Amino acid sequence: MLGAGMVLVISFLLNVSLGSVSISISQVFEGLFFGEWSRDSLRQILVNYRLPKALVAILAGLGLSISGLQMQTFFRNPLAGPYVLGISSGAGFGVAILILAGSIFGFASHAVNPWAIAIAGTLGAGLILVLVSLVAWRVKDSMTLLIVGVMFGAAVSAIISVLAYFSGAEALKLYTIWSMGSLGGLGWEQVWMMMGVVLVGLFPVVFSIRAFNALLLGESYASSMGVNTTRLRWWMILSAGLLSGVVTAFCGPVAFVGIAVPHMARIIWKTADHRVLFPASALCGAVLLLLCDALGQLPGSAQSLPINAVTSLIGAPLVIGLVLKRNFSKDF
Amino acid sequence: MKKSVISGSYVRLGYQKGGQSKEIFQNLHFDLLPGQLTCLLGPNGVGKTTLVKAILGKLPLWDGKLVLQDREISNYSQAELSRQLAVVLTEPVLAGNMTVGQLVSLGRTPYLGWSGYLSVKDKQIVNQAMELTHLIELKDERLSELSDGQRQKAMIARALAQDAPIMILDEPTAHLDLVNRFEIMQLLHGLSRTQDKSILVITHDLDIALETADYLWLLRKGQSLIAGLTEDLILRGKVNELFPSSSIRFNSDRGKMELDRPEVKVEVNGDESQVSWLLNAMKKSGINAATSPIFLEKEPFCIRYEEFEFQSIQEFLAYLY
Repeated sequence: MLGAGMVLVISFLLNVSLGSVSISISQVFEGLFFGEWSRDSLRQILVNYRLPKALVAILAGLGLSISGLQMQTFFRNPLAGPYVLGISSGAGFGVAILILAGSIFGFASHAVNPWAIAIAGTLGAGLILVLVSLVAWRVKDSMTLLIVGVMFGAAVSAIISVLAYFSGAEALKLYTIWSMGSLGGLGWEQVWMMMGVVLVGLFPVVFSIRAFNALLLGESYASSMGVNTTRLRWWMILSAGLLSGVVTAFCGPVAFVGIAVPHMARIIWKTADHRVLFPASALCGAVLLLLCDALGQLPGSAQSLPINAVTSLIGAPLVIGLVLKRNFSKDF
Repeated sequence: MKKSVISGSYVRLGYQKGGQSKEIFQNLHFDLLPGQLTCLLGPNGVGKTTLVKAILGKLPLWDGKLVLQDREISNYSQAELSRQLAVVLTEPVLAGNMTVGQLVSLGRTPYLGWSGYLSVKDKQIVNQAMELTHLIELKDERLSELSDGQRQKAMIARALAQDAPIMILDEPTAHLDLVNRFEIMQLLHGLSRTQDKSILVITHDLDIALETADYLWLLRKGQSLIAGLTEDLILRGKVNELFPSSSIRFNSDRGKMELDRPEVKVEVNGDESQVSWLLNAMKKSGINAATSPIFLEKEPFCIRYEEFEFQSIQEFLAYLY
């Protein structure tokens, strides 16, 4: 765990120092800790652009991984992730309403700022969350909830397709870019906001560690050991919804982190104990996104790749490798 | 007689689905006695698992009373119940990445705080549970690497670590080979004595239940539950009532199940066990009679019939055909 913490610090420094203008790590050090900048432009780049982006990468990686781990354990399904409860699709739905429907009906033609997108995304994620919760309240079986979540996601994607079909080229491009995900472009206010929501979303997790461990044996065993599975389900929906909802709202849908990172943590730490897995997933997620983002910067060039493309390029082979190499049901 | 730990009276149970309701059984009376191993036997679909669900407080009673240690089960909270009852269920445990030690530690869940931190005392109890089930050497093995029998023992160790006076096991010996089945039941019987546990085992395994259970509960479709000391039930011919169809019955002399085949009318002379196996083989082959007496000899084994001598039952049967 200590080693992983070191890796996190190194990834962070690497992430901050790489970009279209390369800033050496020693310069970053001097600047951040002693306030000595060789040029003022470096300070500008670092403080206003790279630091918030690196923090967003950490928050997003942590949030998605932890919500993914919760869902995988709760649904006892190795392929569950933030997409599964329809939360990511819900956020996409909110943004699609803002950008696409906005362009069709003319209520948000050009004035689309990050706050508006974040609010729309949060509302969309919240809407799906409420719907899923209503279902969760009625059905007792977690598999049913899983299927319903996937169906909500499918239905919402269909609505987005319809909106995309009727909207103009400008809006379509805006939405497409949002859906590719981006860690940058957020100001400090938004970073603080995101951090606040992530902290609130982590709160239920801390109090559910014992319950998640018991849940590894299945719902019946967990409840025979005095775990209130109904309450845990609400905590899980709340926490996973907040974490992945806020990340998707601010950064767009970021693929694979939610699914792949918990497995990475299980493999690296070789344990099923959530006292280890939660911090381990958080660290792995943060490191993965920092590195993906650094890679996406195409060091030395002014261009950068959308984060979703980078995580998918790394995540897809990882998940395929996991599926082929390891017996999921045995290792899960 | 000691006071029962679980007692049911006039229990009526069923499921409600949509507008329809289906009654499983009614008017059931039973008592689970402390420090004893009780086996619940009955055909598939008779409601054994339903009864267990009700005892675990998962299914509301339609009628009657279910009392656990002087208090109705419906009045227990889930947390309180988890300190009274530990279970081993039929549902498979998928967490193959877990070690035996971690699995058994989960049994301490009802006593832990939200962080799941194990105190020294918790660890002692976990170790003791593993020692009692002879798993201490397998402490760091992963569940995916264990045999079915070992995994079942690990589940029993987990239930032991839960430190509840009552243990309920739903078919703990299913999918196990004969040796493991006896070992598991022997282990449970031992635990009922040394650890003073009251154990209820649901099983299909009549042979093993008769061999190891102190008490039997026999549940039959649409009828009341028969309970009693195992040997009493055998002597009173009650075990036979489990088999409503006449094709199978329980032979109380030999202590095992038999297909009800026509008796073989023949005179056989020889050692008692040899005679019974020969008759068994003849019944299976559908040979109900032989014209003259059969003589069996030991060491070397041979069958003398009419003027012939046979070295094996197979040869003999071939001749009779």
